Amino acid sequence: MDFKALWNKQSTSDMPDTKELFTNADELKKKTRNKLIKLNLVLLATTPVMIYMWFNIDNEHLTTRIGLILIVLAIVSYLAVSNQILPMLFKSDFEMSSQEYLNQLIRIKRKEDFLNKVMINIYFTLLSAGLALYMLQFISRMSVAWAVTYVVWTFGWIAFSWFYLRPRGIRKKGKALNDMIERLEKVNGQLRDSD
Amino acid sequence: MVFNDIYKTYWNKVFRICMGYVNDHDWAKDIAQETFVTIWQQLPKFRNESAIGTWIFRIASNHCLRQIERQNRMPRSEMPEQIAEHIEPDREPQVQFLYKCIAELPETDRLIISLELEDVKQAEIAKIVGLSETNIRVKVFRIKERLAKKFENYEH
Repeated sequence: MDFKALWNKQSTSDMPDTKELFTNADELKKKTRNKLIKLNLVLLATTPVMIYMWFNIDNEHLTTRIGLILIVLAIVSYLAVSNQILPMLFKSDFEMSSQEYLNQLIRIKRKEDFLNKVMINIYFTLLSAGLALYMLQFISRMSVAWAVTYVVWTFGWIAFSWFYLRPRGIRKKGKALNDMIERLEKVNGQLRDSD
Repeated sequence: MVFNDIYKTYWNKVFRICMGYVNDHDWAKDIAQETFVTIWQQLPKFRNESAIGTWIFRIASNHCLRQIERQNRMPRSEMPEQIAEHIEPDREPQVQFLYKCIAELPETDRLIISLELEDVKQAEIAKIVGLSETNIRVKVFRIKERLAKKFENYEH
């Protein structure tokens, strides 16, 4: 059987002209950029509120200011990681051999998995601590009944996000990443077997 | 070499390699396009440390391997029979069968045999994939044997 002859009989796709080639590339770039811009806008939308509070509410307690700083820090650290560090860390190089490329992909996915866990923890810790500190001043001015309701409600929310939302976020993304790592390692194993 | 010359010389070759990897016309075209976008972006940095062909096939192979990241696209060969039938009618049944068999091989074997059928030297394939030349020779031999067996069953 002459496989080469059969192989070459495959009708190839019409070669897209170079203009089309680059339009497609640009569209892809635009899509990724728009996604990033949207994420930034949603997260940044809360900062004007924080700034307003900083200047307009009489923040006699230091805890209130620290609380605000922590909340803003949570948002900023999340943005810094998703905007700057992520694309930098996860840029892949196509010019290496398949084996090196697969190893690179596995390394990237492992890093992503680690960062995912660490970032979610940092984000929730800063946000919860910030919120708790921020509330202190207002709670101290309330009647006991109101204060208790407030504290129960706030800490209830913090507990809910810490014990439910946080692990769920980690697990969901972590599972997808681990499945991917497993698949990549399987393919990489095809190259190791023959050594 | 200017990009346009590379594009003209290598489009068919790169397309066939992608086709061997996924056995899906549209999907192969997408991968081939992505490959050439990378080539266009990286060409100014190309230093002639390797032959241009080796460099291009490395980029193409890695773009194929990258498809592992895209879970939602299922190759035709893994689809239920009725859907999988929609392969372009102008292809000879034997050609269709060859590409189907190749796309069913383990991922790296698909690349190795596609490069071999594309007349890339085994020493070059070794550089592209990252294995020794001896390994490639053994692998090519085994894959061809496997394909020959499948064709035997197919014709009888």
